[in-house]
Amino acid sequence: MRATLIIANYNGRELLTRSVPAVLEAARRAGDHTVVVADDGSTDDSVCYLATSFPDVRVLAFPHRGFGETCNAAVAAATTEAAVLLNSDVTVSPDFLTPLIEGLSTSDVFAAGCKFLNPDGSLTGTLGNRTSCQWLRGMLQVRHETDPSRLTETCPQLYANGGAMAVSRERWLSLGGFDPLYRPFYWEDTDIGYRAWGRGWRVLYEPGSVVFHDQGSTVKRFHERRYVELMSARNAVLFTWKNLLDPLLFRRTLAAQARWAGDDVLIGGLPPRTGALLAALRRLPEAARARRREQRERVVSDVEILATCGVAP
Amino acid sequence: MSKSSSVAIILSFARQGEDDAICQAVDWVREEFPDAHLAAFGTPVSAPVFLSLGIGDVMVLGGERGTRDVLREAKARRPRVAAIIYSGPGTGGHLKLEMLALSVPARHIYRVVPGEAVCTASRARLALAVVGKILQTGPCLIVAGLACGVAWVWLRLAQLLTGDGRARRT
Repeated sequence: MRATLIIANYNGRELLTRSVPAVLEAARRAGDHTVVVADDGSTDDSVCYLATSFPDVRVLAFPHRGFGETCNAAVAAATTEAAVLLNSDVTVSPDFLTPLIEGLSTSDVFAAGCKFLNPDGSLTGTLGNRTSCQWLRGMLQVRHETDPSRLTETCPQLYANGGAMAVSRERWLSLGGFDPLYRPFYWEDTDIGYRAWGRGWRVLYEPGSVVFHDQGSTVKRFHERRYVELMSARNAVLFTWKNLLDPLLFRRTLAAQARWAGDDVLIGGLPPRTGALLAALRRLPEAARARRREQRERVVSDVEILATCGVAP
Repeated sequence: MSKSSSVAIILSFARQGEDDAICQAVDWVREEFPDAHLAAFGTPVSAPVFLSLGIGDVMVLGGERGTRDVLREAKARRPRVAAIIYSGPGTGGHLKLEMLALSVPARHIYRVVPGEAVCTASRARLALAVVGKILQTGPCLIVAGLACGVAWVWLRLAQLLTGDGRARRT
């Protein structure tokens, strides 16, 4: 299976000096694959740097429109069966590609996700490994496995971390790619993974495909911590508003979200939860449209999807 | 006060990246109360941090035991000193920890804010802060309740207008 390796970049000139050579080497080792940098309207000299230092790399220079839409445009422009999405703060290992795209050859697989390590090779606090979810005080919360003994086999997972994932391009296009509901960032990968499960497709975790992730080094470089936390909390709310179609689960989750706001005062130091709900409310019409679309396309129930991730609602 | 043979309890909701605040608080309490037996009241996240700092007496909120049991244990230690660790600038939030500090018979309560000098909080002043925060919780819950109510009506209507909300395959 041929793949297009897409590095999403926004003002990441310094990060590209590390990520591009590693991706080129991995593409060369794995065979006949294409490397593309999808530039999200960078204002640094990323595009010039790529043109002079890596003439073999195709650069798709888009106007600035955010991570999700840049990825959507790049996957749409690809012509291969598989697309591999990579953040510019991810450095791939030389042999990461073959096991990753092998998983996609199974007929019902939508995506495969990599094994994420910290730049020093440790697993502490890493995000994106064997993702699952749990109900915590009535809320759906995403979990990331950090126990090395549970990260040794290819297995299903809730979603593949958008920092390094391979997707079937045909299924990506069928799902409509990352949903702009979540712009500017966060939760779009969880959303597309959940929607894929809802169509009856699987998402796999592939531990043989190792990448090193300097987590959030792009987002946190350009945005205040509080803003990043607010977007993450808002998008967590939007995710449930859009995707939880089971009436009982939906009602329970909304009740929990209403109580959740009390934690602003009870606990403190958390992402501003009342603010997140109000920010989500501003996107309610958009979430409702997305929910209707989801309802039309869904063939697997929420309960079944959650059961796949070991969750008893 | 006598700084010998007493119990000092350190309270924290520490989350990722707040290890430094715990270290700062533990160092400060050890320096100020060198003979005190240190106990900690934390979460499954902060408990390992306390243990790594040599505090073996850790009561965990949100673990297997209920809040009441943990609170009973904290009271039974009769701490004379309580130190509340705040997670960011200022003393906002942390209502639960402040209520816990008030519910144990600590004569001296300290507020540890990362990057700031440790300050004393009298029980009366802390009680006032708790009342203020309880009053603040009401509007938060009302706003959130209204937001979720609007969302529920809007999204359920949209779902009902589209048709059956259940997945086609069971």
